[in-house]
Amino acid sequence: MSVVRVVLIVLGTILGAVGAVELLAGGPRDTLAAVVWLAGGVAVHDFVLAPLVVALGVLATRLVPAWGRSPAVAAAVVLGAVTLMAVPVLGRFGARPDNPTLLDRPYIAGWLVFAGLVLGCAFGWALVRLRGGGGE
Amino acid sequence: MPELRLSVPREEDFSSRLRGPEVASRVGLWLGICFAVAFLTGLYSHLAQAAYPVLPLPVRPAWLYRVTQGVHVAAGTAAVPLLLVKLWTVYPKLFVRPPRQRRALLLHGLERGSLGVLVAGAVFQLATGLANASQWYPWTFSFRATHYAVAWLTIGALVVHIGVKLPAITRGLRTDVDDISRDVPGPAASPGLSRRGVLRTTWVAAGLAVLTTAGSSVPLLRRVSVFGVRSGDGPMGVPVNKSARAAGVTASALAVDYALTLSTGDEVRRLSRAELEQLPQRTAVLPIACVEGWSATGTWTGVRVRDLVTLVGGSPDHAVLVTSLQESGPFRQTRLPAGFVADEDTLLALRLDGEPLSVDHGYPCRLIAPNRPGVMQTKWVASLAVET
Repeated sequence: MSVVRVVLIVLGTILGAVGAVELLAGGPRDTLAAVVWLAGGVAVHDFVLAPLVVALGVLATRLVPAWGRSPAVAAAVVLGAVTLMAVPVLGRFGARPDNPTLLDRPYIAGWLVFAGLVLGCAFGWALVRLRGGGGE
Repeated sequence: MPELRLSVPREEDFSSRLRGPEVASRVGLWLGICFAVAFLTGLYSHLAQAAYPVLPLPVRPAWLYRVTQGVHVAAGTAAVPLLLVKLWTVYPKLFVRPPRQRRALLLHGLERGSLGVLVAGAVFQLATGLANASQWYPWTFSFRATHYAVAWLTIGALVVHIGVKLPAITRGLRTDVDDISRDVPGPAASPGLSRRGVLRTTWVAAGLAVLTTAGSSVPLLRRVSVFGVRSGDGPMGVPVNKSARAAGVTASALAVDYALTLSTGDEVRRLSRAELEQLPQRTAVLPIACVEGWSATGTWTGVRVRDLVTLVGGSPDHAVLVTSLQESGPFRQTRLPAGFVADEDTLLALRLDGEPLSVDHGYPCRLIAPNRPGVMQTKWVASLAVET
């Protein structure tokens, strides 16, 4: 193993240890709550989101014709990732009646426009591919 | 159709030819850059919120914190699609069966452990950061302390991961993305997206994530940022982070007998708002940049803090303790370091955009200084105490 790799592994371990000490400094109650959220994030990704994406991929290879596959996958990645990112604003969970300047956009309408544009682009691309006889 | 059976899959069961080190290393590189940028800007923000910062903080340029915190949130936002694609490329590795041999098993376990910390930390940082930007707190731990601690944990696990994977990363980056000889053999050699196509899609997703949210800090993007936490509108054209009602100060802020308490040691003076209006006024164009990432520019008018300090015989070379009318809250009291006190544009503002401050913007008076996190631009100021 090269010197660079050893240095990186040792340095990373030290940085991580700083984090562990900082986390524990928050007291047992905060630490436990944080650990539940840390483990929960991995669990939700590995056992809910990822299998769902794999299942969608399998479904797409069976249902979507060859000429539509690339546009469908690209649209799903863009729309899925951006929608997940936008969950806190789409749900407006942090909105407060005393502060009308927070979360003050029409988020659902914005999402519909965004989704429409992404799907429109994907359909356009699929049509071009269909006319061109498919393939990459 | 093959017979369906329920069992834990093996690595070889995942047939997409798009997974693998060519895509993983390229997406990982940008993901690593985003995390490094978010870590450094986050450290700066943490430092800027300390009452006694370990390093002297720059007072100028006035827009520095606005930029670093906007970049912090943008880097985290761009990382969402990058992290999702990165995890997708390596997901089959989750099902690698551990080796039998003891030494190999130990190394395998250590690598898995560091990866577990990395994935948990990365998902945690993005999820809590995005929720915090919209002031959504579905957890019981302290956001600031925990987001800070997990940042160190995550960046540490990331550096270990780079150390462990360095040969694979350099090999992946040097290989032509679309070299078909690198394809994972399998039945899925279908006419879908190419590896280059996956990369392009990922960059587009990351770019759109930033574009649709950054309007909260970049006025030019306001109209396209359909998922921005704030439109930028508000009383006098500036949004409000915490309302007077939420802070529980409405009555005390609007009280007719309000007076600001100024003090240096034993020397104490009380000034009503009318008396503050009588003092020489200064107008400064300064940003208000919130820790949650949004920012806006305001034209503030009020009395220079250094003038108020000299009024009670204090020196602008000393720090000032600023206390709000708020009765509780972590930022009820903030410390304005000497460098900020001395600055010409550090004001006890009475007006915004020429109008008296609205109560949600801090009436009767608020602190506004260059290059300071929004939470430390104390509203509803009750007293200024010069440190001696």
